Amino acid sequence: MSMEDYDFLFKIVLIGNAGVGKTCLVRRFTQGLFPPGQGATIGVDFMIKTVEINGEKVKLQIWDTAGQERFRSITQSYYRSANALILTYDITCEESFRCLPEWLREIEQYASNKVITVLVGNKIDLADKREVSQQRAAEFSEAQDMYYLETSAKESDNVEKLFLDLACRLISEARQNTLVNNVSSPLPGEGKSISYLTCCNFN
Amino acid sequence: MACVISGLPESIIAAACARSGQRVLHVDSRNYYGGNWASFSFSGLLSWIKENQQNTDLSDECEDWRKLILENEEAIPLSSKDKTIQHVEDFCFDDQDSAEGVEEAGALPKLPVFGAPAAKGVSVGSEESPAEEGVSPGSEESPAAEIPVPESADGTSPSTDSAESAPEPGTTEAAPSESAAQEPKKITYSQIVREGRRFNIDLVSKLLYSRGLLIDLLIKSNVSRYAEFKNATRVLAFREGKVEQVPCSRADVFNSRQLTMVEKRMLMKFLTFCLDYEQHPEEYQDYESSTFAQFLQTRKLTPSLQHFILHSIAMVSETESSTLEGLQATKKFLQCLGRYGNTPFLFPLYGQGEIPQCFCRLCAVFGGIYCLRHSVRCLVLDTASGRCKAIVDQFGQRISAKYFIVEDSYLSESTCTNVCYRQISRAVLITDQSVLNTDSEQQVSILTVPPLESGKAAVCVIELCSSTMTCMKDTYLVHLTCPSTKTAREDLEPVVQKLFNLNTEKETENEELEKPKVLWAVYFNMRDSSGVEKNSYAGLPSNVYVCSGPDPALGNDCAVKQAETIFREMFPTEEFCPPAPNPEDIIYDEDEVEPEESGLSNSAETKPESSAEESSSGADAAVTKEE
Repeated sequence: MSMEDYDFLFKIVLIGNAGVGKTCLVRRFTQGLFPPGQGATIGVDFMIKTVEINGEKVKLQIWDTAGQERFRSITQSYYRSANALILTYDITCEESFRCLPEWLREIEQYASNKVITVLVGNKIDLADKREVSQQRAAEFSEAQDMYYLETSAKESDNVEKLFLDLACRLISEARQNTLVNNVSSPLPGEGKSISYLTCCNFN
Repeated sequence: MACVISGLPESIIAAACARSGQRVLHVDSRNYYGGNWASFSFSGLLSWIKENQQNTDLSDECEDWRKLILENEEAIPLSSKDKTIQHVEDFCFDDQDSAEGVEEAGALPKLPVFGAPAAKGVSVGSEESPAEEGVSPGSEESPAAEIPVPESADGTSPSTDSAESAPEPGTTEAAPSESAAQEPKKITYSQIVREGRRFNIDLVSKLLYSRGLLIDLLIKSNVSRYAEFKNATRVLAFREGKVEQVPCSRADVFNSRQLTMVEKRMLMKFLTFCLDYEQHPEEYQDYESSTFAQFLQTRKLTPSLQHFILHSIAMVSETESSTLEGLQATKKFLQCLGRYGNTPFLFPLYGQGEIPQCFCRLCAVFGGIYCLRHSVRCLVLDTASGRCKAIVDQFGQRISAKYFIVEDSYLSESTCTNVCYRQISRAVLITDQSVLNTDSEQQVSILTVPPLESGKAAVCVIELCSSTMTCMKDTYLVHLTCPSTKTAREDLEPVVQKLFNLNTEKETENEELEKPKVLWAVYFNMRDSSGVEKNSYAGLPSNVYVCSGPDPALGNDCAVKQAETIFREMFPTEEFCPPAPNPEDIIYDEDEVEPEESGLSNSAETKPESSAEESSSGADAAVTKEE
């Protein structure tokens, strides 16, 4: 795929307890699949989906935790340079909701403070097992100034909406930033990945 | 395979093993990655300092795990207390009291407590006002809001909470600085505390040689995608009490205003010779037994050029390094030059501490399991085979594996009685301006300070600016490193005094005023276990591999070499860190491929030789894959 194939590129990072359905959300969105088992995703670093919004190609790079959330051992570098974070819990699992503040602390600590955070309650297809009410989650997200959405990766409810809304927000944010960018401040973007650093020689 | 602690070599080995199909468990008793390779926010570093200053002898060591050792087994206890850091001394050159009660921005005190240890408790009320919240997240963009600029310097600046509670000395002092152009902005200790998470302070200070082994490995393995880098922008020299920029690239030499035309020609001629010195043995063979410094004296170079080449380009010892060593080092420098920029070095954004984490991420992507805050009590030795078969963790759990990687600092005293360690002296300073001010304040500089007295080592100084994401705006983070002869403070303070102004009072002599002011400093000694041979550890089974802590060299070659050597000993036929498939190249065939396997089958597609062979060799080499 050539580099100029898109107008925007965003890095979206998923976090939340193990088993809340992070990988399923990504798979559902990028591949249209719902994997029945809970096979760990070996060898896949992030997934990519290019979507078109108002005629503009937006490439979404969606990063999964690679299982490091299981023992609360996510590397800080995972959060660096993320444009958006999807903080996921399982509506049928009180514990996954109670852990949200801990995740928020990690975000505050390591992510850029311009990151957009979305709170996602997954597994609404299991409505009869619900343990976390919509109201509680809505109040929490409001207090933390986050967007909030409930999804079902299994039934594909709100999954498209989640990512497309996020893409829209990222675009408008990016536009604002380029307008306001007259302040020369250190931004992660100043650093370069090795492959983009130009080569030249002493001779 | 089990890995204990997560320094750079261990992380590379873990990544390489997971990549070639081994099942890897990586545990570390600390709550952060990297061991002595880690980097910390300011508050994180303060806790680290406290921890290492308290000499708590935890002799109340619970030895319950001994019960778990069977008859035909033996235990090799591991040390639970890290003894690699000594002589930690920190100094604040600003009114520390003014920072009392100041909290790091974004410490999340306003969270509802869900049984979790949410708030640190201290601050309630005023600090959580929406106004405060509004200011701190934006501070990266508009630091002016946080710094007492003339407009708001009436002492009631609403953006600083210390100003709310008590008059802050820093604020009032900064007020007269109206001609802000030249004058560095006055940063106070409380601002450092508040902006603490802008800091990523490395325990080891290194740079990446742009043609060094680490860069090659990062590129080869695709781990480079997890990190971003900046070029070091300047190479500096310290000569006759002054800091000067060293022209090292062709362009630099020609553009240099400090060199005369004759000097330019001399320097270019010499550097060109160094690039392929092997082709001209007649030029140096008479001097092979003399030092590089002596050789330089014969080359018709002015004293300043000799100084630049010896200390800043070759970075070798004046008294000890031979001509060949010097030529080799100069050639390495020149070869690295220009690959990515005007100096031979790269620095990772957010600090060197990111690098081990990047390899851990690769390991995790390939199925490695990560457990921080998880300590290991002992290795379990099978008496009959003489091999290590398991570890016992803090909960008395026994975890079996075929191979074990342990960092030197985890080995107990009884294992290390015959080991002789060297030490590294380190200092970290937060300063208010660069050691060499130029038109751009965003500079990453490396400076070698030659030994101030004979018998001492040269001190390597790396100065980082805020765009490396390692310090807050309007400050510089300065790292000093040298092999120890005494305590870190004794080794390094003389150099700090030469380069910086350590006075806390406002009125100092003019000369001192020109120097950058140190706002905060810490000194410590770190154990250097890099030169230790494996056979000097007593009683270690052959399937236990020891990684050393950080070495004092500027580059990272030592860690990479060590990782590759250990990996090859374990798996002689496997490739070391082949490229991970690029996610963009993975084509998901939605209908035909079982969703479960899409990841695997596709990585097999991009690397056809891998999966089948590897997983079979992996199966008998290590604990087999679950699922």
